[in-house]
Amino acid sequence: MRRKTLTRRAAIGLLVVLLTAVTAATAALGAGGAREQTSLTFDVWSYSIPTIQDNIKKFQQQNPGVKVALRDTSWFDYHDVMATRFTGGNAPDVTYSSDHWLREWVAAGWIAPLDEHFSQFKSYMKEWAPYAREGMTLDGKLYGLPYYADLVTFIYNDRILRQAGFRSAPKTWEEVAKQALAIKNKGLAKYPIYIPLKKDDPWLIEIFYSMVYGQGGHMFNKDDNPVFNRPGSPAEKTLQWLRDAMKKSKIFNPAAPQSAEPDIVKTMGAGNSVFTVLAKYNLAELNLGQHKERGHFRMALMPGASHSTVGFVRFYAMSDRAADRGDDVVKNSGAFLQYFGGKTDGQYKVVKRWALEKGLGFANLPLYADRQVAASINKWGSVPLERSQAKLAHVKEGLTPYWGVWDIYARQQLNAAILGQTSPRKALESMADRWEQLKKQYG
Amino acid sequence: MRRRRRAANALYASAGILLGLVILVPFLFVLSASLQTESELIRRPPPIVSPDPTVDNYEYVFTGNVPAAYASRELLRGTVTQDVRQIPKGLRNSFIVALGTVLINLVLATLAAYTFARERFRGRQAAFFFILGSRLLPAVAVAVPIYVSLRSLGLLDSKLGLVLIYSAFTLPFSIWVLTLYFRSLPGEIEEAARIDGCTRLETLRHVVLPLAAPGLAAIGAFSFLFSYSEFMFALFTTETPHAKTIPVIIASVSVNPDASYTLIAVGIVLSMIAPIVFALAFRRYITSGLVASLTRG
Amino acid sequence: MATGGAVAGQRAHSRERRFGRRGYSWLTLAPALALVALFTLFPVGYAAWTSVHRHVLVLQDRPYVGLRNYQNAIEDPLFVDSIKSSLIFVAVAVPLVTLVGLLVALLLNQRVRGFAILLVLVLLPWAIPTVSAGITWRLLLHGDFGALDGFLYRIGAIDEYIQWLSSPGLAMASVIGVHTWREFPLPAILFLAALQTIPPDLSEAARLDRANAWERFRYVTLPHLKAALLIVLVYETIIALSVFDLVYVLTGGGPGSATTLFSWFTYTATFKYLNFGQGAALSFIMAAVLVVFIVVYMRIVRVREEPS
Repeated sequence: MRRKTLTRRAAIGLLVVLLTAVTAATAALGAGGAREQTSLTFDVWSYSIPTIQDNIKKFQQQNPGVKVALRDTSWFDYHDVMATRFTGGNAPDVTYSSDHWLREWVAAGWIAPLDEHFSQFKSYMKEWAPYAREGMTLDGKLYGLPYYADLVTFIYNDRILRQAGFRSAPKTWEEVAKQALAIKNKGLAKYPIYIPLKKDDPWLIEIFYSMVYGQGGHMFNKDDNPVFNRPGSPAEKTLQWLRDAMKKSKIFNPAAPQSAEPDIVKTMGAGNSVFTVLAKYNLAELNLGQHKERGHFRMALMPGASHSTVGFVRFYAMSDRAADRGDDVVKNSGAFLQYFGGKTDGQYKVVKRWALEKGLGFANLPLYADRQVAASINKWGSVPLERSQAKLAHVKEGLTPYWGVWDIYARQQLNAAILGQTSPRKALESMADRWEQLKKQYG
Repeated sequence: MRRRRRAANALYASAGILLGLVILVPFLFVLSASLQTESELIRRPPPIVSPDPTVDNYEYVFTGNVPAAYASRELLRGTVTQDVRQIPKGLRNSFIVALGTVLINLVLATLAAYTFARERFRGRQAAFFFILGSRLLPAVAVAVPIYVSLRSLGLLDSKLGLVLIYSAFTLPFSIWVLTLYFRSLPGEIEEAARIDGCTRLETLRHVVLPLAAPGLAAIGAFSFLFSYSEFMFALFTTETPHAKTIPVIIASVSVNPDASYTLIAVGIVLSMIAPIVFALAFRRYITSGLVASLTRG
Repeated sequence: MATGGAVAGQRAHSRERRFGRRGYSWLTLAPALALVALFTLFPVGYAAWTSVHRHVLVLQDRPYVGLRNYQNAIEDPLFVDSIKSSLIFVAVAVPLVTLVGLLVALLLNQRVRGFAILLVLVLLPWAIPTVSAGITWRLLLHGDFGALDGFLYRIGAIDEYIQWLSSPGLAMASVIGVHTWREFPLPAILFLAALQTIPPDLSEAARLDRANAWERFRYVTLPHLKAALLIVLVYETIIALSVFDLVYVLTGGGPGSATTLFSWFTYTATFKYLNFGQGAALSFIMAAVLVVFIVVYMRIVRVREEPS
């Protein structure tokens, strides 16, 4: 009997020792994570990683004391993964962000106001297009330097349009439907319209906003209250139009609810579809890329009464963590931001590189005066048309700290409404309900 | 009678061929896709086999030499992405993580299973039940807390962190299989060894383990396949190519706007080689292990 | 000690005896137990705690909210939808996987030349990463460039591409189909092993008794498969309830909410809506449901494990 209790004690003792050891190891490992002072972590979504790495290499050559570690994540998951990183003590020093998430990231204390640390960046502001400036400032403070800024545009295949006997691009969505039907009936394309509607793709919401804006409509009012849910609103009409195009007239590629930007570009390039709505840089890809129909694509003003669209900006930001890590890190982050989003030797070097090599748009208006840039754009697009669309561009409405979370729900609802799982009315109503719920939650 | 038999055999044979096709077609498709050029693949309808197969896409993944088919473009946007250049690293990471998990399984599961098989002590039932039950807990249900645990251990974005998670998820199964296996061995030789003065651990090492080799092979193969392929934890706990495993990389490549379908297919083909080789090499043990674990064969 | 009379170990090494058998037992179990506990007990406890607090990732304070997370979760329209989807998925996928596994096992049990190769092939869908299988099938099934539609179109079986993944009903069917493709090897192998335990003279005797094929299956084969069948059904239910990777790469829960299974909804609530409190509540609900199945499963296996 005694031996029994003895062994039991021994066992318990052992277990305790083991658990203590595990805890101690935990603490030791947790404490050992300090980084070298001159190393910067840079988070991006996966797009043209080789170019980014090359830019980093050049930056490091100019700033020998700095080492940049790049981490990339799929664009689909970027918002969620970054939220996990920021709250999980795994924040980067410098990072891509977007106007989508500015308020959320500022409210959560994830990114730092740049003008408080680097007063010289303020001078850039007057050179940026208004929608981009607006997308990077909050309460008078500047939080980013642009990585690229672009427009959501209406893109069409001019060759097929002419073949179908149309002389000019459609100006309203009714006209789009009419032309598409004619193209379908002539057998030129089975599904002339192909717009990415995959709910996981963050583009969906910006495309939807653009279609609403184009008709002079709004999503939210000045006080960030939803207006998309009003009966007969342009939002409802747009949703109904999408649904009819897919379900009734069958002029809309039925694969769209599971298709994202790359799928659309490939299909358009192959000549299987004629009309789409995508970020403008895709026009460069379509006209210069390895596609059967290369050279035949044009952009037109967003269909609708006002031809307005979404202008957006993706930008470089510095994290709060970097600001906390001391002057050295802040200084080097500043140099990094300056190199990537600002001017080096009086030129927007990196921004220009993206424009020339990838056709990415920019908010830095002086670049339009750069002959090389203008010539490059005119190879695949049109500077005048681009500028007139830019003048009609607006930022996304309703950008609150909870917009990013609402967006995911909204896309799911839009997707369901287009598929007929729910009615456009109901989808928009539940989007508004979710908005109210989040508003309460985020207080 | 014999004619009926022959008819039956023909029926079986055709069913067998159908089964073989259903299993193999996706593999052949993705292999064929990986050898095509992008423009062929999105043709409507696409060719079944490329008239002009090329291994350029594989070469790009390993060397970074941009295939000639893409090089003619003025803009290098789309279809060729650096993302796929992480595939070799991902393959290596998956391999290292899987081997680490196998190692931990072999050591810890052997120790625990031998005790479960041969010792009688209070709490044995409870411990056994706990271990077995825990293996069935769905990963989604514990994802967040596990993320938090790893963070406090300072093991986010590390191969070691993945090895620990995967070990926790594979150990129950390994212990189960091995316990059953040890029990099926005749106890007499062990007793003889004990009489000769061997300790339990010595008996285990010199007498039991050589006999249990097939069981060890089975749990090794299982833990390898599980850790090589696991997706969700790898997705949330890894950040950089330093720790990203192959499933995470190909999932990211598959939605990357810059990735051509052929490059995606290349990634898939490469991701399947190691598990297929492993599964075929250890087929016999996998089968017996599976059967044992589910039914106590 | 309860089983102090055990033969082995009575004449154990003296060093060992001093340390004690129980000491040895627990010492050998401890590393494995600790590791498993760290990744199961702690998470479950943590989830329970989180589920009664407001834990929205981007908000700093985390007040106690009682059962409100559960209430909010249940009131979300997607909650009911996802439960419905999961029930449909389980109700179709589990019998389908079992049936296909059984048919394949019955087929492979026949002595036909060349079937040895099939025995090897059968492992493949199960051995490769789910992610690889899922992406492959996405490329095959995509309604715009998918090879399956391409093939059917080429042979003239269809004149319009079928939307395997983007029409709500078909998307669910596709996910179930791919799940079955990947999952059937396990039951097939299991059933095959069970079939091989049937003494050949037994079915021969039945054959001589002029029993027809169905009768032979019903009265000779089936009784031998009963145990395996039960295990497969419960095990596959657990697997089907926790499917995740496949949905992630194949449909992303869409289109709409067509393939938003409960596990996917839990993932969305947590990592997309960043509401960890609600995610934990859902995880907890899910774990509770699964524990029921797990206990049933353990019972079945246990009964067989210790017949004496």
